[in-house]
Amino acid sequence: MSAIRLENLVKRFGAFTALKTMDLAVDDGEFMALLGPSGCGKSTTMNMIAGMERPSEGRILFGDRDMAGVAMGQRGVGFVFQNYAIFTHMSVRQNLSYGLRMGGRPKAEVAQRTGAIADLLQLGDLLDRPAAGLSVNILQRVAIGRSAVMEPAIFLLDEPLSNVDAAFRAVMRTELKQLQRQFRQTMVYVTHDQLEAMTMADRIAVMDHGVLQQVGRPLEIYNDPANLFVARFIGSPGMNLLAGLPLETAAGPVVDLGAIGHSPVLAPAQAAAARRARGAVVYGFRPEQVATVPPGHGMAMPVSFVERIGARTILHLGHGAQGAKAVFENDVGLSPGSMAHLAPIPAAIRLFDAETGVALRGT
Amino acid sequence: MSPAAKPGPDESARLGLRLTLPAQVLVLFISVFPLLMQLYISLTDWSPLSGLAWPRAWEMWNTFANYTDLLSDNRLWSALGRTLLVMAICVPVEFLLGLGLAILFADNFPGKRLLYSILIMPMMVVPAVAGYMFYMLFQSGGPANDLLSAISGIPVTVAWLSDPTLALAAVMVADIWQWTPLMFLILLAGLVGVPQDQVKAATLLGANAWQRFVTIVLPRMSAIIIIALAIRVIECFKIFDTLFIMTGGGPGVATETISVYIYKITTQDLIWGYVAAIALAILIVLSVACVWAMKRMAK
Repeated sequence: MSAIRLENLVKRFGAFTALKTMDLAVDDGEFMALLGPSGCGKSTTMNMIAGMERPSEGRILFGDRDMAGVAMGQRGVGFVFQNYAIFTHMSVRQNLSYGLRMGGRPKAEVAQRTGAIADLLQLGDLLDRPAAGLSVNILQRVAIGRSAVMEPAIFLLDEPLSNVDAAFRAVMRTELKQLQRQFRQTMVYVTHDQLEAMTMADRIAVMDHGVLQQVGRPLEIYNDPANLFVARFIGSPGMNLLAGLPLETAAGPVVDLGAIGHSPVLAPAQAAAARRARGAVVYGFRPEQVATVPPGHGMAMPVSFVERIGARTILHLGHGAQGAKAVFENDVGLSPGSMAHLAPIPAAIRLFDAETGVALRGT
Repeated sequence: MSPAAKPGPDESARLGLRLTLPAQVLVLFISVFPLLMQLYISLTDWSPLSGLAWPRAWEMWNTFANYTDLLSDNRLWSALGRTLLVMAICVPVEFLLGLGLAILFADNFPGKRLLYSILIMPMMVVPAVAGYMFYMLFQSGGPANDLLSAISGIPVTVAWLSDPTLALAAVMVADIWQWTPLMFLILLAGLVGVPQDQVKAATLLGANAWQRFVTIVLPRMSAIIIIALAIRVIECFKIFDTLFIMTGGGPGVATETISVYIYKITTQDLIWGYVAAIALAILIVLSVACVWAMKRMAK
């Protein structure tokens, strides 16, 4: 068992900075997802934790132990590669027992531990099959088992589900989460798929362009994005973000949204946030947290497109920078060209500084 | 479009056959005809001096006399032994040197490109030219002795190519010089093709460099190693040009390999029926040995 601490971690490749001053603490036994679009530095971070890359600056600590100068084979880290990197010229058994055999463990111990991990991962019947030609889901379990048999304190997974099809991914998400509960190891999981991060992780670290954007529990990140990037990136569709100006009216504080009209009167917390703004703000709300209201109340936006996907109806509203989406459980009877009158749920409204993109909070 | 205008699968196969037929006949003529001719002559006492055109060689029919003769031909057997000795020393040395160089060149180091060009140059030297080079290198007053004198501090004046044992060693040095680059090139291609993720995975599982090499890199390269060895074994068996220019098979028969022996009895003794029998026997033995060895190694 081991906690991971990254302190002022920087990684440069020549003139390109892949990771800019990252600080992150992963608790012992925690499942931490590193989430971000490709090129955000998440894999680089992971490779540095594993020891495959050397940090340009900063420190990596496992518990209290500085990992600088500790070779990757000596870190006690389990690593599952994106393509699994199974030794295809060996059998499943030889794959699973590889680390133990190379470590020179006694034969009886190798057999016993390999058997135990095979049973746990339901690979018992496949032990003597050649690894080449096995299906992706089995390869993945072999890859996990091969690392898990070494009982590493830290488990690193690099987009392990990106090679499997969508239907199977759902099964694997549950399976992986259960495995983590069984192993109770510290896990760092790199992914660009927010659904994987949201469903499996204890906490998510959202990254973009080599900068850590926000760390928090999945719902914290969903409900209270720290900045515009996180707001846009998390959620499907992402948060609606409308440019506006805070305005005091006779009814109370609102946000002037230009052509769309005024927002409904802000709730006290949001009003406090609006008062902290120095100029333009971005008015944000989740597409799911919108209600239809009678004309004259709320915001009037033209419907440009309606997506009906069975359980949900997604309205595409407005255009360009003042465009938004709204998701409803039932069909709302609106068609393209008509006017939608909508009001976000007051408590769900989030305001951001238009200039810096940082969330404005009331307290 | 009418059905007739569209060629069916049978028809297009027949068209393909007709189009490739001339080429196939040519290939058949080039590869099979000489073999049949050789087989025919090998069953006769025919010689170009016999005054008969080769199709009439049946007039000198001797059935399997040539084949029974070669079993008791001591010069042939010692030439074969010598060829196998050259092969048994040159191929492993070339393999180990080539593998070592390939491992060195799989990593980056300053001057790699230049060194790479220099290293593969011997392969591009015409074998006859390489033969003359080594012929001069190994003269008693030549650079090989100068180098040995400089290293040892004692004046060395060995007559390399006149000593039966040393002549064979000199020939092997030339072969290793010329053909290690080929081994190096093939093995480097194999080494670069080893999936780096697997090597990293093995490292993360605690395997040290030697264990990684033995358990991941070598098995991954096995196919290409077999190909490299097969090429060199076959080529080495046919060793001729460089050797012939350096020693002419001498002194005496000290460096006479199979190819040199066949060359000599072809051009000097002119007993072509016998030559055909030897060549055919070698072809059969070598083919069987190659197929057997490759099947075994593929496992």
